[in-house]
Amino acid sequence: MKAILHILEHDLRNFFRYKWWLVGLISMNLADLFIMAIVYNRMISSDVAKQITSYFNFFAPGLTVTGLFASAFMIGREINMERRREIHHYMLSLPMTRLELAIGRVLSGGLRGMIYMSPLLLTCFVFLGFPTVAQLLMILIVLFFLAIGISGLSIAIAVSTSSLEKFITARGLVYYTLFFCSSVFYPLSLIQDLGREGKFPAILVNLAEINPLSNASDMIRSFLLGTPPFSPNMILSVIVFSTIFTLVAAFAYIKIIERT
Amino acid sequence: MSQIALFGIIASRMINVEGIDYFRYYVSGLSIMTLYSAAIFIGFDIYEEADHGVFEYLLSLPVSRRQLVLGRSIGGGLRSFIYVGPLIAVSLYVIGSINPLNFLVALFALFLFSFGVSGMSITIAVMIKSSDRFDIFMGVLDALIVRLSTAMYPLAIVQSANPLYGGVASFNPITFAADLFRWGTGLETIITLDNPLIPLLGVIAFFAVFTFVGVIIYERRIEGGGWQ
Repeated sequence: MKAILHILEHDLRNFFRYKWWLVGLISMNLADLFIMAIVYNRMISSDVAKQITSYFNFFAPGLTVTGLFASAFMIGREINMERRREIHHYMLSLPMTRLELAIGRVLSGGLRGMIYMSPLLLTCFVFLGFPTVAQLLMILIVLFFLAIGISGLSIAIAVSTSSLEKFITARGLVYYTLFFCSSVFYPLSLIQDLGREGKFPAILVNLAEINPLSNASDMIRSFLLGTPPFSPNMILSVIVFSTIFTLVAAFAYIKIIERT
Repeated sequence: MSQIALFGIIASRMINVEGIDYFRYYVSGLSIMTLYSAAIFIGFDIYEEADHGVFEYLLSLPVSRRQLVLGRSIGGGLRSFIYVGPLIAVSLYVIGSINPLNFLVALFALFLFSFGVSGMSITIAVMIKSSDRFDIFMGVLDALIVRLSTAMYPLAIVQSANPLYGGVASFNPITFAADLFRWGTGLETIITLDNPLIPLLGVIAFFAVFTFVGVIIYERRIEGGGWQ
């Protein structure tokens, strides 16, 4: 346990070295909310307006989740860099088990995501209203699981790619697929309608439905806006995603960095 | 491409603006946003060259500083055009119509726009002198300049959402480039500025200012080891 805490400290210190970069990232996220969402508010169709009332309110929880995703994914870039510069030999020489090292990295990625996401979540509460204590706890727990899952996904990609270019390409593919095939930017019903009309492949509709980004955003919306209705499947989807990618990341991290 | 295939299709379902096919509007704007982002990359190359000592080599070449900046701006602009070429081709296919003469004028303006963006990127890179700070600054600038333009939404909507946003969008080079591209591709009904000559003059002014300012700042900043 102590070893895991050391890894957490190491990664959190690294995270805060980029504080201006984080300020820049948060500014970009807030520009999305306070410029793009406000303008889109004026353009949404009446049918969609009936469902979501305001695009600004709809997008704020989605933005929180995208911020969480981007920051939790940062750990992968560092691990990929460590692998390329062979710093992982030093990490492997530390007096801790491989499992502790792997769990520490996954957890620190998740924690970093939570820290970065907090001002965005607070902005969301300020404009949309505060949840009850029970709802707040549930939001934080689900987002933490999501952050760990994203961190795991990012580590699995980082250790499986040998160059920064390959990592960035894989990251772009994952980013765009998970962001755009989700209910972060638009209601899930729109994607389902397109699927029913045959204008969108069924596989992408299914992906949007089980996408943890969709489920985490919709869960926050259900608590703060009352729509879509809350469903336990929202939590289940995030937990399944998190469990799979934490295990995959731990396994990939242990096996691949020992081999190289 | 995934932005067109996923975001473009789904968002156009969500949006309803009278007289506008949002999918075509978005696809044409996306080409300009990507052209802008690609042209910015020349600034990162300058840091890379400084790290590897190529900067000194370039300064030792028998070309004037002016030619060096101009060459780099044009080179940066041209390569971003090559990068965005397939996306522009897809946009033209999606938009489905083209006015050949207008399109040639628009293409010329887009070349000037990408040279201007490259010049701006070089100017900011040599002023900031730190790749981390440059990365942050360009990220924030990108967020503001793209969102406060007509690349994603018509000017009338931006103005009705917030007059300040509308004011910035009216004098934004991305607005000028996006409007000219839409004019060139025959999407006249959704041009947000009344006269295409205005955005054309705006793009020319943007190019001229950043090339001229770029030359002056480049000369002042790098001489006598000022780069380090």
